[in-house]
Amino acid sequence: MIECNNLTHYYGEKLVFENLNFQVKKGSILGLLGKNGTGKTTAFNILNGFLQPTGGQCLVFGEDTQHLSPQAKARIGFLIEGHIQYSFMNIQQIEKFYSGFYPKWKSAAYWELISKLNVSLTQKISTMSCGQRSQVALGLILAQDPDLLILDDFSMGLDPGYRRLFIDYLREYAKAENKTIFTTSHIIQDLERLIDDVLIIDYNKMLVQSPVAEFRSNFRRFDFELDNEATELKKEPFIMNIEKVKNKVELYTFSAESDVKKYLDDNKIVVSNFAQVRMELEDAFIGLTGKY
Amino acid sequence: MEKISRYILVFIAVLTLAIFLPKLYWMAFEKPVWKPFVQYSCINNDFMIQRIREKKWMDTKGKEYSREEYEQTLPMMFFKQLLASGTMPDSINGTALDMRAISREKSFFRLKASEIDAPCPDLYPLFESWSGRAKLELPEDFFRITWRIEFIEASTNKLLEEKSQLFSAALFHNGFSFPAKLISGLPTPRKTCDEGYLIVDSKDQLFHLKMIKGKPFVKKVDIPEGVKFRHISCVDFKNKDFYAYLFSDKNEIYILTQNDYQVIKWLIDGYDLANCDLKIFGDLFNYTVAIEVNDRIKMIALDKQFQVVNTYGEEWPVKEDMLEGRIFASLFPAQLSMTSDNSKFIRFYFSPSNGFNWIFVNLLLMTFHFIWILRRKAKLKNHLADLVIVVLSGIFGFIAIHLFQNKFFD
Amino acid sequence: MWKSVFYKEWLKTRWFMVGYTLLGVLCIGYLFLTLKHSFAFTGGKNVWFTVLFQEQQFYSLLKYVPLAGGLTIAVAQYLPETINKRLKLTFHLPLTENKVLLQMQAFGAGCLLISFLMFGGLFTGFSLIYFPIQMVTNSVVTILPWLLAGFAAYFMIALIILEPNWIFRFCYTLIGVFFLTIYFNSAGATAYASANPVLFILTALLSVVFVFSAYRFRKGEV
Repeated sequence: MIECNNLTHYYGEKLVFENLNFQVKKGSILGLLGKNGTGKTTAFNILNGFLQPTGGQCLVFGEDTQHLSPQAKARIGFLIEGHIQYSFMNIQQIEKFYSGFYPKWKSAAYWELISKLNVSLTQKISTMSCGQRSQVALGLILAQDPDLLILDDFSMGLDPGYRRLFIDYLREYAKAENKTIFTTSHIIQDLERLIDDVLIIDYNKMLVQSPVAEFRSNFRRFDFELDNEATELKKEPFIMNIEKVKNKVELYTFSAESDVKKYLDDNKIVVSNFAQVRMELEDAFIGLTGKY
Repeated sequence: MEKISRYILVFIAVLTLAIFLPKLYWMAFEKPVWKPFVQYSCINNDFMIQRIREKKWMDTKGKEYSREEYEQTLPMMFFKQLLASGTMPDSINGTALDMRAISREKSFFRLKASEIDAPCPDLYPLFESWSGRAKLELPEDFFRITWRIEFIEASTNKLLEEKSQLFSAALFHNGFSFPAKLISGLPTPRKTCDEGYLIVDSKDQLFHLKMIKGKPFVKKVDIPEGVKFRHISCVDFKNKDFYAYLFSDKNEIYILTQNDYQVIKWLIDGYDLANCDLKIFGDLFNYTVAIEVNDRIKMIALDKQFQVVNTYGEEWPVKEDMLEGRIFASLFPAQLSMTSDNSKFIRFYFSPSNGFNWIFVNLLLMTFHFIWILRRKAKLKNHLADLVIVVLSGIFGFIAIHLFQNKFFD
Repeated sequence: MWKSVFYKEWLKTRWFMVGYTLLGVLCIGYLFLTLKHSFAFTGGKNVWFTVLFQEQQFYSLLKYVPLAGGLTIAVAQYLPETINKRLKLTFHLPLTENKVLLQMQAFGAGCLLISFLMFGGLFTGFSLIYFPIQMVTNSVVTILPWLLAGFAAYFMIALIILEPNWIFRFCYTLIGVFFLTIYFNSAGATAYASANPVLFILTALLSVVFVFSAYRFRKGEV
């Protein structure tokens, strides 16, 4: 559904990412994770044809995203960060407007979601709360019935209730209809409930692209305490990240426990309370990319 | 479509810059040109020149005069001053000077090229010539000449059929061929008397039309064979010598005398209706014709029998000849203007610059742009049109292509 | 699909359109009220005389009315598209980007045309009560560049609003302002007669220029 090859982008002299390669297969739900400034929105803009990359190419349904055909666009559901919509319209007008563009428009899907909102038909979207607007945005996407959903930070500005509503609806819809979703969010716990696969990018490079379960089982955290607080821990290639506070150390790696122990032995580092710690996706993400 | 859109914008920008950059340049750098004021002296039989900037008065041989001496050489022009200072002569050239005669014979006529190439009104007021009233009054109706002459009452906007038929018949019976090519008169109540209109019909025949006690007066005027009048200026001079100055399409000047309708040609050359400013000063002894273009003046003095008695010509440098003009001609390949000194019509007036120095500047700018393309590592093929634009339109194109950037088209 | 595009544009502009048209009609009404008064108090012949020979155009009040219309409709249509970069929504619709833009433009220009035709009809109708056909056609020839300026302003403001970069917006505004003065040179009635066809062509060419800034937006210019 989506294929990006050697995607490179610079903002002036500043490199955002270089030779980024990833794919999103039909029926999968892929989450894009990365710190602020790593190029998530840049990637979304390129995918939707709102930015010309410095190098490389993105294909959606086999078409270059810089020149998407109307037929391809009809099959893509797009959520702009912040649930941006034509807020001068009211909920009735906006449904009437969009229905004119999509032959497969499912009015019922929209109104089912909207009926949960406690608003009048003539209330302008600009006067609604963030959460209400997100529901409208979601309703419009579901009514469009696209094959591919590209959602740029679906949880922005939403309280837990709306976020849960969004995720539940989306996942059920995607699985039932074999839809493909490519999304991102700042709230990784939400993402974890939704996605099958994860793509983690850091400054200038991609770190991980794999199913979430696989990532969580392969990426490990080992906690231990140093006998000597001043011990220097050499950063070897197999160590993705080390967090050290006084004598308490968190070591993050894709390698096995034995490799870690061998590293400690080789460097004659004496530790106590060595244990592998189970991580949620958010912990793993922070562990991989580091705290600020 | 994006590329087309960009080129349209570049074109519009070039157009706009070609109008306003030269304008701004001249606003910043133009210096005033002091034209000489030249008059014919019946005392010296020579032309007297006043140079305002240098505060000098001289004749054509270069002899300088004081201001008072100068005024004494031009008694017809300065008679009030000379009377006041007691230096007015009693007679000149054997003719005794009568103040009333001087005043009666004094006339001034001016015709700018822009008055000829100008929109014409479509309706005219035909005054009652013999109203018996001291002052002229604007009539209630106005006329137009199409396939006939029609009078329309202003307050009701209604056609006056009877009057229209009456006057149309009068014109027709005098050989008038509708419609009119040219209608000339003095359509204002502020004149000493009304002499109606001089009208050129579709066959270039000349007619005089008046309204006398409500009835039409039409006279066909005999004009020289083959003469076609491009412009007629009716005059209201105290001496009542002639009705009008007439100008043919061959740039000849004629007068039409009053009452006997003689069309007399003045033997004047050097006049061009399209770009000259014409002034005719009449006095007791002479007619002085001044033909002015922005960089020269030609003076012709005629006696009262319209024979040429003296001529004088002078040229002076204009802004295009000065340093700032030469820089202008190097910097800007041409200038566009919506207005012209020689016309009241709004058009796109295009004036290419003198010489070809601007080509070097254009090539230089093209080189700058070429280097800029290379530094950006852009594909030259996509920028060829821009280079051509810079070569042709110079600084205008150079600014335009950077204003509407050739980005994202690689 | 164009119906939906028109629907959206209508939702954005309807009150502005109604307000502007009303204002324009009121202007024309006021104009003729003043004219009626002049006819009654100074006399028809004096009014005709000033119009014919003293270059006083009784309709000079209308000079900037079309320009105001172009400005109003362009801002009403395109400013909402740029808030929060909503233009992305428009470009995401299942139409070629330029097609949807041109449909939006056609709507706005169409609205202006309807207003101007309404004004033109009223003006001509009232004028024919007071003046013969030649004087009325001369007025129309004189007013035509002002109408064209209204369209030109509409097209250029669309270009300026859609331009993502502020510096270029400023530069386009400068060029636009200077260019629009071409339509407003002080001159007598029908002085624009020869220039009108050229102005018409230039104005027509301007109808597609906004595609340029929209394209720059799509390519990610900031």
